Amino acid sequence: MPKLTPTAEITLGPFFPTRYVDPGANDLTRRDGCAARGERLELHGRVVQEGGAPMDNLVLEIWQADAQGIFRDPRDPRHGDADPGFAGWGRAATGKDGRYRFTTIKPGAYAMPDGRLRAPHVNVIVLFSGIMRHLQTVLFFEGEPGNEADPVLTAVQPAALRSRLVARREGDGYRFDIALRGDGETPFFDD
Amino acid sequence: MKTMTTVTLYRVDPIDPATQSPRVVPGYRQTALRNPALPLQRRPLTRSELTAPREQAARLAQLGADIAGHGATQAIGQLMHLRLKVVDEDGAPVGGTMVEMWQSNAAGRYTHPNDDDHAPVDPNFYGAARVLTDESGAIEIRTIKPGAYPVPDSGHWWRPPHIHFSVWGKVWLSRLVTQMFFPGEPLNAHDRILYAIPSAAARESLVCRALPTSEGPSNALVFEFQLVVRGCAATPAA
Repeated sequence: MPKLTPTAEITLGPFFPTRYVDPGANDLTRRDGCAARGERLELHGRVVQEGGAPMDNLVLEIWQADAQGIFRDPRDPRHGDADPGFAGWGRAATGKDGRYRFTTIKPGAYAMPDGRLRAPHVNVIVLFSGIMRHLQTVLFFEGEPGNEADPVLTAVQPAALRSRLVARREGDGYRFDIALRGDGETPFFDD
Repeated sequence: MKTMTTVTLYRVDPIDPATQSPRVVPGYRQTALRNPALPLQRRPLTRSELTAPREQAARLAQLGADIAGHGATQAIGQLMHLRLKVVDEDGAPVGGTMVEMWQSNAAGRYTHPNDDDHAPVDPNFYGAARVLTDESGAIEIRTIKPGAYPVPDSGHWWRPPHIHFSVWGKVWLSRLVTQMFFPGEPLNAHDRILYAIPSAAARESLVCRALPTSEGPSNALVFEFQLVVRGCAATPAA
C-alpha cells in the first residue's frame, strides 16, 4: 500500500488557549508523586524575532532523557529502568519580556547502537503565530566534553554556528536564548 | 526490574516540500520575521528524535470532547459533530495520543486575551477540547461551527472558518500542529495560509468532509477529518 502523505503543518496562530499552558507543565522534576533523580536545574532564556523584539505567548516544548540517559518510551531499549520521577516532557510559554523557564534535570549521555555517544541534550520545539511549521532545535550544555563528538551537534554547518546551541551556566541553571531569524539566529533542523 | 516489550521500530522519511507551507508566506507579515533565514540543518536521526513523550494525559488537564454546552448554556451557532481520526503514514491508527483542538466562536471571536476583534464573546463557549484518541485513533468532538474573521492590518484578508489541532503521534518528529477547513467555503480560495501550500492535494487534505445529514443526530451536522502524522514502521537496523 502506498504511504499516506503527512498532513501539512500550519501555524499555532495567536490564540493558543491560555488554559493549554497548564500550571506546572514546565516542571519536569516530579512524576507520580516521586522526585526526579539527578542534577536539578533551571533552563531559561529569551526568544526574539528579527530586529530583537521579544515574543509574548510563544510556546516551547522539550523532550529529554533522564539523568541516566534513558527515554521514557518503549523504543528506548533501557526504558524499563527509566527514572519513575521523571517524565521527560514539558511545555512553557514566554511572557511579555520574551522569557521562558523550565525546571528540569541534566540529562545523561547515552550510547547509540554503533557505540558513539550522544552528549547530554534537550530537544526543543518552537510553536508560534507566524511560524508555519514548528521549528526544531537542540540544546546542549556548556562544559560537556561529549559535545565535540555529538553526531547532531557536529552535523551543524558551518561549525561556527554550533556554539549557539550550547546553553551557558547562569544563576541556578543554564541560559539558552533563541533568535528566530536575523542577528544570532539559532540553528534549526529540517528532518 | 527490566521489562522487555515488543515495539515497532519507526522510520521518519524526508517530507515533500510541495505538500507543506513555504514558511515565509506572502501577505502574512510576521512570517518574514519569525522563520529562519539560514538554511535549515540536517542531522542524523537517533533514539532522541525517534522516541516520544506518552504521558501528556498525566501532565495536561483533559477538557473533554463536548464543548458546545447544553440546554440554557448551549453555545450559539451551528451544532456539529466532528469525527476525527489520527493515523500514521502507513494508515495505522495512533491510539492513546492526545489531541488538542481550539477554535473561534460562531461570530469569529476567540476566548483569548489577545483577541481584540469587535465580534461578541459567547459566554457559553470557551472553544477548546483536549482528549485522548481511542484504540482506533478516533475521537468525536461536539462543538459549533466557527465563524470567519478579518486579520488585523492585513488589507482585508479574512480567515475562513477553521479549527486548530495539535497532536503528538508516536515519535518526537511526528508532532503535528495544523488547521482544518470546511468544504464549500468561498473564503478558502483566498486564504493566504491555506493557499501558500503548493500541492492542491495537500490543500484538499486539510478540508474536512461533510457526511449526509442522515448520518448524525437529528440536531447536528457531522464532519469527518483525518490527521496523518509523520512516521511509518521500519524493519530493525542491522
